[in-house]
Amino acid sequence: MTIRLINLTKSYPSKLGPQYIFKDLNFDFPTDDNVAILGKNGAGKSTLFRMLAKSEYPDKGQIYTNKTMSWPVALATGIHPQMTGRENARFIARINDVKDLAAYESAVQDFAEIGQRFDLPVKTYSSGMRARLVFACCININFDIYLIDEATSVGDPKFRRKAREALEVKAKEAGLIMVSHEMDQIREFCTSAILIEEGQLNYYSDLEEGIAVYME
Amino acid sequence: MSDVLKISLRSQLKVWNSVCFALFLRELRSQFDDKLGLTWGFVEPFIFIFGMSYARTFMGGDDVHGIPVFMFMLIGMVGVQTFLQAFPKVANAFSKNKPLYAFRQVQPIAGLLVSGFVEYTIKVIVVLLSVVTVYLLEIPVKIHDPLLLLILFHLLWIMTLSMSCLLGIAASYVQEIKKVVALFTRPLFFISCIFFSLQDIPKEYWHWLTWNPLVHFIELARYACYESYGDAGVSISYVIEFTVAVFFFAIACYHLTWKGLLSR
Repeated sequence: MTIRLINLTKSYPSKLGPQYIFKDLNFDFPTDDNVAILGKNGAGKSTLFRMLAKSEYPDKGQIYTNKTMSWPVALATGIHPQMTGRENARFIARINDVKDLAAYESAVQDFAEIGQRFDLPVKTYSSGMRARLVFACCININFDIYLIDEATSVGDPKFRRKAREALEVKAKEAGLIMVSHEMDQIREFCTSAILIEEGQLNYYSDLEEGIAVYME
Repeated sequence: MSDVLKISLRSQLKVWNSVCFALFLRELRSQFDDKLGLTWGFVEPFIFIFGMSYARTFMGGDDVHGIPVFMFMLIGMVGVQTFLQAFPKVANAFSKNKPLYAFRQVQPIAGLLVSGFVEYTIKVIVVLLSVVTVYLLEIPVKIHDPLLLLILFHLLWIMTLSMSCLLGIAASYVQEIKKVVALFTRPLFFISCIFFSLQDIPKEYWHWLTWNPLVHFIELARYACYESYGDAGVSISYVIEFTVAVFFFAIACYHLTWKGLLSR
């Protein structure tokens, strides 16, 4: 099954009255392969993304899915700067109902390659290390769909390769939905695209076709 | 389709439980993250309450309407500090946990309840410390009606959390409300019958004070300890009605606005 958007309406209040991002949108979101969400600034990429993750709810309409979805993995979601990397990982694990905390911790420490500094407060980390920590926290929990929001873009090339390999392993049973402005990165991870234009979604099963339309 | 989406109540409760536990640990970790640590959390309010009560005993008078001055002040201070300290702090929970709403399992009310629970636990420890102090100072204490005292204490907490919930919701729509409320809660310290008894005031002016539920809470708590103090001018029914009213108003407002709170 796909993710189904039914009569989706979302607006934000503003001084000029409600700003509609989506109005009565109906769409079947394909999840068989890795999908990139493309769109101009303010087109509603992040909003759609957050609604898919149920971090935010539409004004009207519904999003149906039988897949488990990760939280929207962006640079700093859910990370407390004064807690250590380990404590943050444990927090995320508890929230997501991970059974074996110890195994999860060491898997995260391993994957993020932060070694001893895993036990230092996150505020002492560089932004690259934070991104690695967040990504490691996410990838070590089993979801059907991973929602990645430019989180990997600050990692160095080696970590990016590692992230892609991990996602490829997962890709057999899991999907990926990604928001990014970096075309290189999208080409690295995704195989198809969804373009948001004036509140409408268009699916392109060929990524290059989608990028071409987006670039016009 | 609906069969697939149905999640059992048991697993929902389990998720709730683990979310609240995780938030609780996070709250403790972030709120008391210095060398003084958790201890300061309850030593500071204790010193304040104890200091104020003890200072009052030097100002003359052995008892106020049959209550030792120290006990008289202590009951008043615990009552008013419960409200004044917890109210703004718990109201902050909605905005403070905002980054965590990215996890769909975390709902705003969970943060509020956890923050309230932390404050509640701290106050209980403060009360226990006060009991020990009273015992060591050998102040004669009578507790005439412990059940009433317990009920009052917990009703006060339900009222405080409900008010915090309302303030939290209001403040996430209109930021300025917090400043205004801070201005209006400060005088509560002086008009809630902590330093004086309602009986000291001429009867014709009572209505200027008795609108305030804290007056009822505090005067009734004194009555619950010392029966001879009397409960003229205050009533348990006002306390209960007020609490139930704000409680339902708070959960109704929360139910209407919780999806909005996520994105604000």
